Amino acid sequence: MKSKVLWKVLATLLVFSMLLTACGGGAPTSDSGGEFVTSSGFVCPQPDQRVEVTSTELNLFVWTEYIPVEWKECFEMVYGIKINHDEYSSNEEMYAKLSAGATTYDLVLPTDYIVSLMIGQGMLQKLDKAQLPAFDNIDIGFLDLPFDPGNQYTMPYMAGNDAIVYNADRVSNPPTSWADLWNPDYAGRIVLLDDPRVVIGFTLLTLGYDLNTKDPVQLEEAKQKLMELIPNVKLFDSDSPKTALIAGDVDLGNVWNGEAFTAKQEDPAVEYVYPTEGAILWQDNWAIPTSAPHVDAAYAWINYVEQGNMFWMMLRDFPYTIPNAAALEYAKTNEPELYDAYINSPITNTPPSALANGAYMEDVGDATPLYDQIWTEVKGGN
Amino acid sequence: MLRKLREDKSFQGTTLISPTLLFMVGLLVIPLILTLVISFGSRAADGTVIYGFSFHNYVRLFGISTECTGGKTICFDPTYARILSRSLSLAFNTTVLAILMAYPLAYFIARAPSKKRNTFLFLILVPMWTNFVIRVYAWMMLLRTHGVINGVLGWLAGLFGIDFTPFEMLYTQGAVLVGMVYEFLPFMILPLYTSLEKIDLSLYEASADLGASPIRTFLRMTLPLSMPGVVSGTILVFVPVMGTFIVSDLLGGRQIVLIGNLIQNQFLIARDPTFGSAASIILMIMTLIVTYFYTRKFGLSEEIVGI
Amino acid sequence: MNPHRRSPLVIVSTVLVYFFLYVPVVVLVLFAFNSSKTNVNFEGFITQVGPTEIISGNVLQSPCGAFHWFCELAKNAEVRNATRNTLTIALISTFTSTIIGTLAAIALQRYNFKLKTFSEVSIYIPIVIPEIVMGIGILVLFSQLFTLLNGALNLSGDSQFTLGLGTVIVSHIAFSIPFVALVVRARLHGFDKSIEEASMDLGANELVTFWRVTLPSIMPGVLSGALLAFTLSLDDFVITFFTTGPGASTLPIYVYGLLRRIVTPQVNALSAVWILIILVAVFFTQRLQNRQT
Repeated sequence: MKSKVLWKVLATLLVFSMLLTACGGGAPTSDSGGEFVTSSGFVCPQPDQRVEVTSTELNLFVWTEYIPVEWKECFEMVYGIKINHDEYSSNEEMYAKLSAGATTYDLVLPTDYIVSLMIGQGMLQKLDKAQLPAFDNIDIGFLDLPFDPGNQYTMPYMAGNDAIVYNADRVSNPPTSWADLWNPDYAGRIVLLDDPRVVIGFTLLTLGYDLNTKDPVQLEEAKQKLMELIPNVKLFDSDSPKTALIAGDVDLGNVWNGEAFTAKQEDPAVEYVYPTEGAILWQDNWAIPTSAPHVDAAYAWINYVEQGNMFWMMLRDFPYTIPNAAALEYAKTNEPELYDAYINSPITNTPPSALANGAYMEDVGDATPLYDQIWTEVKGGN
Repeated sequence: MLRKLREDKSFQGTTLISPTLLFMVGLLVIPLILTLVISFGSRAADGTVIYGFSFHNYVRLFGISTECTGGKTICFDPTYARILSRSLSLAFNTTVLAILMAYPLAYFIARAPSKKRNTFLFLILVPMWTNFVIRVYAWMMLLRTHGVINGVLGWLAGLFGIDFTPFEMLYTQGAVLVGMVYEFLPFMILPLYTSLEKIDLSLYEASADLGASPIRTFLRMTLPLSMPGVVSGTILVFVPVMGTFIVSDLLGGRQIVLIGNLIQNQFLIARDPTFGSAASIILMIMTLIVTYFYTRKFGLSEEIVGI
Repeated sequence: MNPHRRSPLVIVSTVLVYFFLYVPVVVLVLFAFNSSKTNVNFEGFITQVGPTEIISGNVLQSPCGAFHWFCELAKNAEVRNATRNTLTIALISTFTSTIIGTLAAIALQRYNFKLKTFSEVSIYIPIVIPEIVMGIGILVLFSQLFTLLNGALNLSGDSQFTLGLGTVIVSHIAFSIPFVALVVRARLHGFDKSIEEASMDLGANELVTFWRVTLPSIMPGVLSGALLAFTLSLDDFVITFFTTGPGASTLPIYVYGLLRRIVTPQVNALSAVWILIILVAVFFTQRLQNRQT
């Protein structure tokens, strides 16, 4: 009798899951003029240079919510290739999975410091620039960076920085440098990114040391200094630090520029400031794992989405810094409000002085456990 | 062979257990051995493992160090010990609270009319079939300084004209405890219910007829008979709490480091699988010891755990 | 005396615990109607119906009115795919692990055999092992195994053995078995064997006895174990993340990733839909049960 109940509930759920398969809802269509239109009404442009592709699938392994939906729909229609879209929410998870043996992904989006690690481990394959005319679309300022000299393995995707954000309504003496965060007025009102490299990093910057130092003496000094900052910290958050800011749990903190932009939309009193010691710059890049099964599809994808008339959507969806000059050109003429909002905000359009002053994170090799140990001691010490 | 199955009790047992053994040995014993081997290795500069045989990871965990300030030869670094003890006390508190909250509920359902029992059970599980993380987020919305609970309290205080400063509930140890209890309560309720439901309803009546007060009935009859459920429930709550990292991350503002967080960090951020493996082994040994003594103490070992 | 009578203390405690369990659920569902995109504070319901209008993070107008996020959810093909995968995995793994786990519980509780101690210990492994250790461990195992198999059988391209739905299901079965076994054992403890003996005396063989005497008697334990396994599978993130492959993404992975990047009320809408469906299912099964007796 009781088993009947169980089977009935299970059967209901099974039926429901089958209904889900039947539910189409919003599939992209193509009209008779040979044009492809996405479910949101966007007309897919033709590829500038059509790549010859034999693969029928493409396996993406990318950051969550980092790719406009229209790109996937358009690519599937234009090239007839099925996209399998898997996601991760941290570089480390992606790295752990790939290094433990997951071999079927064609494209990943590693951030700078993980790139150099992956190159060193032989996890990425060299890009054939001849097949990637999309490189011409990239602003030269984002190329040839220390983590991948000559861009042999990666192509820039999106860039940004970590700096200080504060709510002007609630903070009477705003910070201008990393060192200002230690001000006892801010006790219990700060949010910091939950990233040992960033937090220990900016502590090192306040002491005048290099962001990527491996020197244990310097790191010990940084640890002591960081322990003094802890009473000011309400919470650490690398997922959505703007939440605490908007909710009023904290008044200021260290976040990425995209978070600050979104927070400012909700509350115009939010201000973003590039510290005098220098902000921490980062960049996400396309990379192809060594064992990728559908390399030709990967090249087709990169060339297609990095076109100006496709990449401009990043302006609309993700408020970070855009390395694709062609997209900005396109937006200037075709999407002026988006372009203006982007160009006029120092949050998305980082001023050159801040860029020059900033520094990229690099992999610290065997000092990595030392950073983690410091982090554990600092956090676990209460 | 069917004949042998019929007559040889030992063979019957082996047959019944064989699919389980297949899964356990195939999928788990081998990775476990690998973890043990790695825990004795060292970390190369790029995060891969250099296989060897050294106890340095374990020494580090227990905080015994020879590089001391102040002229001592051997000193003690309490960082990891503190994390361990914090995890143990949180697991203990969560379990105790879970038992206290689960027992009346399981008892209620066990004695409800049989038609209604399954409904009550399903009703407990309905919240658990939303996503784990989103439930924790719901608690954040509740416990925030400007969240739902403070909002309601403030409104009530307004009605009575009392001055009200919002309580700072989020990002504290208390918040983590509430979150843990919430997440693992059903894992206590289900085994408890299973045990309590077995008690024949007429036993309650018989006990009353013999003159026992409700409290006496509970202490001398119900509680002992429900012990297997309490034991199972404790194991199902205590152990996962030790290993969970999401609840302490979100509700504790990532300031409360438990052993689950430590292990997670070792594999992902520090990229030191040797230290992470050592910590995992210690965690597993600790939980196995606790489980063993717990089941032994309640005299059920012969029936429940044959170790 | 009514055998179902319970003291007021018990009833009050029960109500309080149910309240405790459901308050976050109510908050969750409420925020599914939040007009604020960032979903931090509740900014009110979306009142105007019309073409979508979003100003500084607040949805002021939507073709679906207050149900804006539910409409967004319906358009989300990824959620559909993930939900389908999650349900498939959960149902198959629950079914299999319940059977295997119940057999294991019976074996361990009532029989003595050579590998008993080893089984006792190894069945605890999935319970005590940290999830990330299990996840990475299984991933390494599978990838080595697949490399071997693909090489030996000379497979290549898309016909290779790879990570995917199959590997996830197998992992879920592995970690569910011990939980089922533990719960069923609690039920088997003190089981009165005399009814089984009576059944056999009356001429039924072992199989019939098991099916018609033993099993119905331990059914609450089996059911509880199955529910536990189902719940565990639905929510699993860490192990699933490491053992899944392209196209086999599940709901926890999607939601967890989403919550870590952009928290929108869409996720709340998803939870609200889930809860509604399950409550409806529970309601209908209750009606059916009432009608049967």
